[in-house]
Parts: sequence; C-alpha cells; structure tokens
Amino acid sequence: MAQYADIIEIVAPGEAQAGSRVDITVKVKNTHSGAIGIMVGGALEYGVSPWPGISFPEPSANVGGGVTQSFAGYFTMPDKKVTIHAYSYWYGADGYWYFDDEMTKVINPAAAIESQFGSIEIVSYERRL
Amino acid sequence: MGAVFIPSEFGIVFLPLANVQVKAGDKLRITSRYSHRGKAESVPLYAAIGNSGWAGFDEVLNASKTINVPETADWQFYEDYVDITITTALAKGLYDLYAKIGGTIPKVISPTLYDVVEVLVTGNSEFGEITINSYAKV
Repeated sequence: MAQYADIIEIVAPGEAQAGSRVDITVKVKNTHSGAIGIMVGGALEYGVSPWPGISFPEPSANVGGGVTQSFAGYFTMPDKKVTIHAYSYWYGADGYWYFDDEMTKVINPAAAIESQFGSIEIVSYERRL
Repeated sequence: MGAVFIPSEFGIVFLPLANVQVKAGDKLRITSRYSHRGKAESVPLYAAIGNSGWAGFDEVLNASKTINVPETADWQFYEDYVDITITTALAKGLYDLYAKIGGTIPKVISPTLYDVVEVLVTGNSEFGEITINSYAKV
C-alpha cells in the first residue's frame, strides 16, 4: 500500500508491434489530505540490463488531496514480451523525492500482419535501345 | 525518346497519354509504383503489352522480375521497373499496357493504359537499284 502516491492503473495496450511507439498512461492518486508533489518513472523488463527507461515528458505535478493525476509516457516496443514497471514518488518537505509505489503490466508483441499490396500503377514507360 | 511519365490520377480529368514508338529489338521499360505493408515478401513484378478487350487483356509480350519488400507495419510506396524486349510477335499498330504483382493469381493489378505503345515495323532487306559509278584499270 502506498503512503501518499498510489498508482491505481497503467493504461497500455495488451500487445504492440515490434518497433512501434507504445503510449501509456500511469494514473496516480494522491491519498494525502493536502496537495503534494508526485512524480512517476518507469522501466522496461524484457531481458536486457540495465532496464531501459520509459519517457515521461512531464513526469511530475502538484496534485491536490484525493485527486488522481494521469502521467503520459511512451517507449519503443521491443521484439519480445515486455513488463512495464511504473514507479511513483512523493516530494518531501526536506526537498527529496521518496519512492512510494510500483505497478507492473505486461505487453505482448503483436504478430506481424500478413503481406499486403495495396495498389499498383504504371508511372512511366520508355523505349530502351 | 525520353520516358513518358503518367500524371497522377486525380478526379475525373482525362489526360490523353503520349505513346512511345518501338520496333523489334528495342526494350520497353515499364516503371510501376506500388504500395505494401506487412511481412517481408519476394514476389514477381509483371508487365505486359497487348490488347485490352471485352474478354480481358490479350497479352502478346510480357516480362517479370522478382521484387523484395521489407517488413513494415505501415503502408510504404516503392517503384521498380520491368523491361520487355520487343519482338516481331508484335505486328505494326497500337498496344496497351498493364502491370501487376503476383503470379497466376495477382495480388494487385494496375489500371490499363490504352494505345500507349506504337509498334513500327521495319521492312525486309531490299536493294532498290545499282549503277556503275566509275571504272578504272587497277
């Protein structure tokens, strides 16, 4: 159970195409009675070390008491199953960020779509000797 | 003669296409643009010269080559060409063109270009006349 910054959900697709951008949202609820600073971070577990990070363009926010804040992030899907690790932190009066909560979610690689040709047109024709 | 480039087909404006003149022994280079997505694949790019009619396209000459497309999640456009060697199988006249990807069961077929190939026929070898221009002791 988190102390103040409770991760309540990771919104992410269940599968994604290898090499594609995966957009996620981490929802964190401030369980404190007053406003506090909350920050999120994330890492990807899929067999490489160190774990690659997840980009959060705006990783922190001042969140009112009892309010749930959504943090948008993204990463590039690897070619294998990946476990998202999302972390939350709260900002202390002493000026330090304190780790608070963790949640995970698995994303499976999507099977490549079958080969498809959409159109063809002749764009030029010329005599060659 | 330079290549004949097909204008993009927007709306319903009809633009008559210039024809290209060829004769036996020439090659006709037909360049096509196509789109693909999905898994990588090697397939034939095929083009034919002939006559389009009510029963379909009556091919007289054709050629193909293998093209390789990489795996992509999104639609990608590519261009490639096929050279058809012109032979005496083509009589004098105007012919149509089309291209496709795939074999017996094509994956995609281009619109037909009508009367864009004009075949010229060179006559058989003939001598018209001969005269003596000079004579001298050697």
